[in-house]
Amino acid sequence: MPDSHDLAVIGGGLVGSAIAWGAARLGADVALLDEGDVAFRAARGNFGLVWVQSKGDGLPPYANWTRRSAALWPDLAAELSSMTGTDVALRQPGGLHFCLSEQEVEQRAAMISRMHNATGDIGTRLLDRGDVRAMVPGLGPQVQGAAYCPKDGHANPLLLLRALQAGFRRHRGRYLPGARIERITPRGADFAIELGTTHIVVRRIVIAAGLGSATLAPLVGLSMPVRPVRGQIMVTERLRPLLDWPTAQIRQTVEGSIMIGDSHEDVGFDEGTSATEMQRIAARALATFPALGQAQIVRHWGALRVMTQDGAPIYEQSGQYPGAFAATCHSGVTLAGSHALALAPAILDGMLPDELRAFTSERFHVPTV
Amino acid sequence: MSGACLLAEHGAQILVLDEQPAPGGQIYRAVERVATQGRTALDRLGGEYAAGVALAARFRASGCAYWPGSTVWQVTPERSVWVSRNGRSVHLRADVILLATGAMERPVPVPGWTLPGVMTVGAVQILLKSAALLPSVPFVLAGSGPLPLLVAQQCLAAGARPAAFLDTGSPSNMFAAMRHLPGALGLPARRMLAKGLALRAALRRSGVRVFRNVRDMRIEGDHAAEAIRFRSGRAEHRVEAQLVALHDGVIPSQQITRLVGCAHVWDARQRCFRPQLDDWGNSSVEGVMVAGDAAGIGGAASAALAGRLAAFEALRLLGRIDAAQRDKWAAADRRAMRAERAVRPLLERMFPPRPEILCPADDVVVCRCEEVTAGALRQAVAQGCQGPNQAKSFLRCGMGPCQGRLCGPVVTEVIAAARGQTIEETGYFRIRPPLKPVTLGEIALLET
Repeated sequence: MPDSHDLAVIGGGLVGSAIAWGAARLGADVALLDEGDVAFRAARGNFGLVWVQSKGDGLPPYANWTRRSAALWPDLAAELSSMTGTDVALRQPGGLHFCLSEQEVEQRAAMISRMHNATGDIGTRLLDRGDVRAMVPGLGPQVQGAAYCPKDGHANPLLLLRALQAGFRRHRGRYLPGARIERITPRGADFAIELGTTHIVVRRIVIAAGLGSATLAPLVGLSMPVRPVRGQIMVTERLRPLLDWPTAQIRQTVEGSIMIGDSHEDVGFDEGTSATEMQRIAARALATFPALGQAQIVRHWGALRVMTQDGAPIYEQSGQYPGAFAATCHSGVTLAGSHALALAPAILDGMLPDELRAFTSERFHVPTV
Repeated sequence: MSGACLLAEHGAQILVLDEQPAPGGQIYRAVERVATQGRTALDRLGGEYAAGVALAARFRASGCAYWPGSTVWQVTPERSVWVSRNGRSVHLRADVILLATGAMERPVPVPGWTLPGVMTVGAVQILLKSAALLPSVPFVLAGSGPLPLLVAQQCLAAGARPAAFLDTGSPSNMFAAMRHLPGALGLPARRMLAKGLALRAALRRSGVRVFRNVRDMRIEGDHAAEAIRFRSGRAEHRVEAQLVALHDGVIPSQQITRLVGCAHVWDARQRCFRPQLDDWGNSSVEGVMVAGDAAGIGGAASAALAGRLAAFEALRLLGRIDAAQRDKWAAADRRAMRAERAVRPLLERMFPPRPEILCPADDVVVCRCEEVTAGALRQAVAQGCQGPNQAKSFLRCGMGPCQGRLCGPVVTEVIAAARGQTIEETGYFRIRPPLKPVTLGEIALLET
């Protein structure tokens, strides 16, 4: 007899781990299937923003879902901390997006106004040259202004993943790493999953396998057209506190390292790094904070974001095989609050709420199988 | 140096990137400067050290371009090299890259090894060679293999007397090694063994306190090393020392070959990973070759031969000679190499790393940069951690300024043992650029 579970989550990254933890904490019997030591793992290459200000421009439900997640985040962090002893270093002091040209200022102003009109005022403001200098010392002359949103924040993405998985096990979740999925077979109201020599049977299944979702989703009548978009990040040695606010390109961790990133490259499944992007990222960081010129870069990496055509998540229940769900996004940190505390309960209930109706794959006009 | 000389002498355009300020590598470090101080200064560092004088001179005359003080921080499989020099980084491209980055001392994680005042035996030797610095406080040399004996002799010759010499080799290994003795008795092997015996005899004559079969070492001290406690035979001992130098053999320095993406194999005898190479030093990445101890520990003479063999092959890769010519020119070096290699099985069996440092106790720090203990690693494994890269992301081990150089080998051993799987299955850290820290300002000025 194969082991049976209420729910199997395919994918041990941030999306899958948040859902698995969220379901296990409600008492469900959950299996979390993960790959091995080396895999395409966005969750290990993450920047760590809990970012609100720019999410959902042009897709109001995404803006609202993001805001909800940022609002749920303190509960998530507190529960993880009390349960696992891991402080995931959540700070939500508001965040800045620096503009290095008049054109960038104009673009940002237009975005703030669009989002304000579509989804209401959450306090995002444009700071001019003087305002931003009064707020942040040490800015370079090229900084023309910044967008400030009081809802923005950041956290340690590696500790978040670790705490979610530790908490999952505390809730008696079954973690199955090194799992290579041979087959998923819908069987009546259940799903049979073959993992090498192990078989499990589950009532519900969530495909949250990042870039692997594209090939797994059709097995249960779902469509998850995702592609890799590379981001490169550099990190400095630990420095004294320099920057109180996270920004879209630069943030200082609680340990003191400064992370510098924000690249978007369409290079297929290449996780490498490139000197051209490295130079561009460094030059932009220096234009913002000239004092960082002496900071030692100790590590530089590339990681693959899991991106849909419009950049928004996919959440969907299979019409053909009810009980099978799709969950993917490129904001595993930001949306962890929603995934753990709103999406996971809905999946256990067997019905996604109306607020997620905008996130089905139908919007890509790809007919489901 | 040997490979570069040969290539340049055959008209190839060669650039040698060296992190050090002058030719010599580890073995012949600072040999030109020491030579200017006369014969006594050279002899103090041992007879073989003086051989570096001629090699350095030949290298200087060879016509190679030489960039001392260069820090290579990125090498790609497409053979792009990024190197920092005098505060500026430049991008180079090469048809062939020969990596000759040598060995590093195997980390010796014993309780207290992260205290100030604890260093490697190799570090003591570096200070001696490059700055003529000697320990000025009571010091202890602890380890096995040829290097601690040699450094003890070099210290004594320079006038610094160790408070004790702790031989961590085990008599059973010496005994077991004897079956490799017949195969080892070529001329180079006889020279090497004779040298080892002479060093042992000299140490005995010096009157330095020698403890044999040392185990369970623990370095004591609140803020810095004050003493070392250990067992030898049935007794427990404690020796006061403010400087403790540890050594347990050397392993290939694999950061750069991992960074490039060369395939690696596990060498069970040497108990280390090494790049997978053919007989000429070609790695799995086209145009990227490896010679010397970075390819697997063989020692100085063998490294020079490997450099020459790789150079003949590089001449072929560059289209300057054909395979027949290469084989003909390389025949003598290949014979010499076989003779050099004959002694390795004996040495490897005599001085295997001690199990207690491969898999240290739970309370011992494994990753010095991020202060991760062996116990924390084992706990992560108990929670489902699959390998070194997951351990890195969960515990930060290997994320510090040393980029996992020091903890990498131990992390793999501990995880493999805890998971009950082989070292090959466990794998190794993925190595990221920059290999050595480089400033953001320097990166911003890159011409890409």
